[in-house]
Amino acid sequence: MPHLEISDLITATDPHSGARLPVRRDEVIRRLHEAGDRRGARIVEALPADRQGVLDPAAVDRLMIDVHTELQRLSEELRIGERLVHVLGPLFDAIRATAVSAGGGTPLRLVDIGSGLGYVIRWLAAHGALGPDVELVGVDLDSALVGEAGRLARAEGLDCRFVHGNAFDLPEAATVYVSTGVLHHFRGPDLAEFFRAQAASPALAFCHFDIAATRLAPVGAWVFHRARMRHPLGRHDGVASARRAHTDETLLHAAAAPGMRPLLYEPRGLANPFCTTLRPVLGVRPELEAPLRRAMGRAARRLVGPEQLGGAPR
Amino acid sequence: MTALGGTPAVALALAALGLVDSAFSGFRAYAGRDARIRKHRAVARASLRGLAVGSVLLLAPVLTACGVVLTAADRDRTYATLTEGGIGYLAPLACYASAVLLSLAAYFFLPFRASTLAVVAGLGPLTLLRPLVIAAACVGSFVRGGGVASLLVGTVAGAAVLCVEPLVHRHWYSAALRSDPTPASVPAGA
Repeated sequence: MPHLEISDLITATDPHSGARLPVRRDEVIRRLHEAGDRRGARIVEALPADRQGVLDPAAVDRLMIDVHTELQRLSEELRIGERLVHVLGPLFDAIRATAVSAGGGTPLRLVDIGSGLGYVIRWLAAHGALGPDVELVGVDLDSALVGEAGRLARAEGLDCRFVHGNAFDLPEAATVYVSTGVLHHFRGPDLAEFFRAQAASPALAFCHFDIAATRLAPVGAWVFHRARMRHPLGRHDGVASARRAHTDETLLHAAAAPGMRPLLYEPRGLANPFCTTLRPVLGVRPELEAPLRRAMGRAARRLVGPEQLGGAPR
Repeated sequence: MTALGGTPAVALALAALGLVDSAFSGFRAYAGRDARIRKHRAVARASLRGLAVGSVLLLAPVLTACGVVLTAADRDRTYATLTEGGIGYLAPLACYASAVLLSLAAYFFLPFRASTLAVVAGLGPLTLLRPLVIAAACVGSFVRGGGVASLLVGTVAGAAVLCVEPLVHRHWYSAALRSDPTPASVPAGA
């Protein structure tokens, strides 16, 4: 049975125009029933719809913002910002050291794919964590989340921006692509395609954090979301996302795009599963690997490539 | 220390735990409703709101205890019984508070990896265990020799502290903190 996340089903966007598409409530309920997810179906049954059975877009937007606001609390508690800086700091140091940043003098640009409410980008901006030469951009297909992320950034006077649209269609190239909690949304060939798109871009590296697929992950997700989140949709999707997490082998296999050296930080064998709830898969241009390892210092021992991990992808 | 002699200390310890728990309840009622990055003042305000609501609600067990003592035929004996019950009530709460304190110390003072351990193995599960700990405290007060009177006071106290978070949430934080309820759309490529 596939594990579905309700938030994936109740919003739909035209990938080309970015326009909002209507979503029929009974269709979402049918898909959840087919997946054997009666609890998820009950949650969707309670969402408002018009006479034609189309989910109320304004209500869905409010719900998505509320759930993402609650979700941010988990990111705050797990110190996601610090986790990113732990890897991104050395990565940008390596990029600066190799002076391969397109054309020299061009600002470095970090693009957060599927930025949601933009917590990561806003946190980095608020803490000046990557330095003033790094432009911070969040991109998401959900216009409501992008709008709220921009409002929050303006309210706190943060130096960052948010864009509604496709992260690979931006007018200015990214230096580094990042994401948090996005990878498990891609299934099958879409996962490798996601990495290939970045390898084919002018970007020098990517660094995508996602849930570590340990046996503890679904249990931990249940406890954590039960304790911290109020809305049943957030609790439901939190556990579903832990069940959908990709294995280390799958991620490294998919990230092996042409022109990128795939690396995994803190794979299962090297990390305490209680401490490593999220960890990144990286891709760096081959000339960046050595400077990155130097910049990471002792922490570089936790950085492994496919040849060190072995095993067949799931 | 005799039961009677220990009464003020037990009462003080229980009141302190109740008030600290109320402040944390205020924080929990607020947490997850405000997506700003810098919010220390808002956190302090939420904790104070929890403390204020808890201070009022905790008058209920105090009044219940007073009522039990004042209506008892043998006030000294009832007083002593309630003190024994208070000690029995305190024991599970003290263990729980110690675990929370330890987890909080680990969370605030250890590096981020170890602080994750404090959250995943400590603070998260401990939040879920809170009602069970209060139930254990009620049982403890009865088993220790506090009898029905202590069970009554303990149950009222437990209900009071468990009500703080939902009351603060309902009154101040039931809606996420947004100035504009209708999010503005940003066009593609903006």
